[in-house]
Amino acid sequence: MPIEKTLGALWKGIKSFFSFWKDFLVGDSPVLALGVLIILGVAYLSRGSAILAPASTIILVLVLMTFTVWQKTKTRSHSQS
Amino acid sequence: MIDQSTALLLITVAVASAVEAVEALTIILASGITRGWRSTFEGALLAIACLGVIVAAVGTALIQYVPLYILRTLVGTLLLIFGLQWLTKAILRETGFKALHDECDIYDKEIATLSKEKGILRGKRDSLAFAVSFKGVLLEGMEVIMIVISFGLASGGHDQLGTAALGALVGVGIISVVGAVVARPLARVPENYMKLGVGNLLTVFGVFWMGEGVGVHWPLGDLFILVLLAIIFVATLGLVTYFKRVHESKIEVRA
Repeated sequence: MPIEKTLGALWKGIKSFFSFWKDFLVGDSPVLALGVLIILGVAYLSRGSAILAPASTIILVLVLMTFTVWQKTKTRSHSQS
Repeated sequence: MIDQSTALLLITVAVASAVEAVEALTIILASGITRGWRSTFEGALLAIACLGVIVAAVGTALIQYVPLYILRTLVGTLLLIFGLQWLTKAILRETGFKALHDECDIYDKEIATLSKEKGILRGKRDSLAFAVSFKGVLLEGMEVIMIVISFGLASGGHDQLGTAALGALVGVGIISVVGAVVARPLARVPENYMKLGVGNLLTVFGVFWMGEGVGVHWPLGDLFILVLLAIIFVATLGLVTYFKRVHESKIEVRA
């Protein structure tokens, strides 16, 4: 019984640890977190080019920023109407 | 003399910490006024001590064992996520799509909840006041800790970790002093403007360090941070202006 209790507590602890970090990093914007990972990938792949790498990184950040705000305004408009 | 990037680091961490401190202060005031100050302060101090230990332990361990390019990639990615989250929320609040953070409303709700609860009194300690204050300061402080550790590590080591921690202390210190003097939630602090500003800075440092981490060569070196700042600032301004109009037109249609 004590082992089951300990394992249960351990599992609960692990779950709340990951759920804390998920809330912290992803929150209510999974698209944003995914978008940042895509930007990271593009920046890594284009790192050899002096113009393409900085330009594509900046453009993708601006696109992600605009898309996230637009997406949130849509959801909020729907929930208000 | 402090250089440009150190000054920018100090300001960013100080303002980010001040924003979080405004929210923590509301919880501390509500708990102190309804349940008593002693346990409230004890809870807050223990949380601050825990946060200090996390910065020292995690920060030092990461500096010693993880190569700088990996730190910059991780830190940049984290800061970019945080920065864009802060910016999006601040833009939505500024344009009217999301209600502004009302510290007075949060304070009144907290007072009402705490007044109803009896709490478990152990000797002279009010366990509820202690727990509410500890949890509030620890949770609000975690974001500050992430920023302190991130900025400290990505800017280049122990010295900058100290500078970032100093920035956090300055931000929290200013809000604590003002809060102690007025003894009310700081409703007049332009919280949303501060969040817009910090969101901009976090995004800029995030893009810059993430890029450096994976090997992107920014033109002009460190000076490119200022160019990025201008680009993100103009984009924020454009989004605020555009979506403010969208929101106003939606209100007109409904009326």
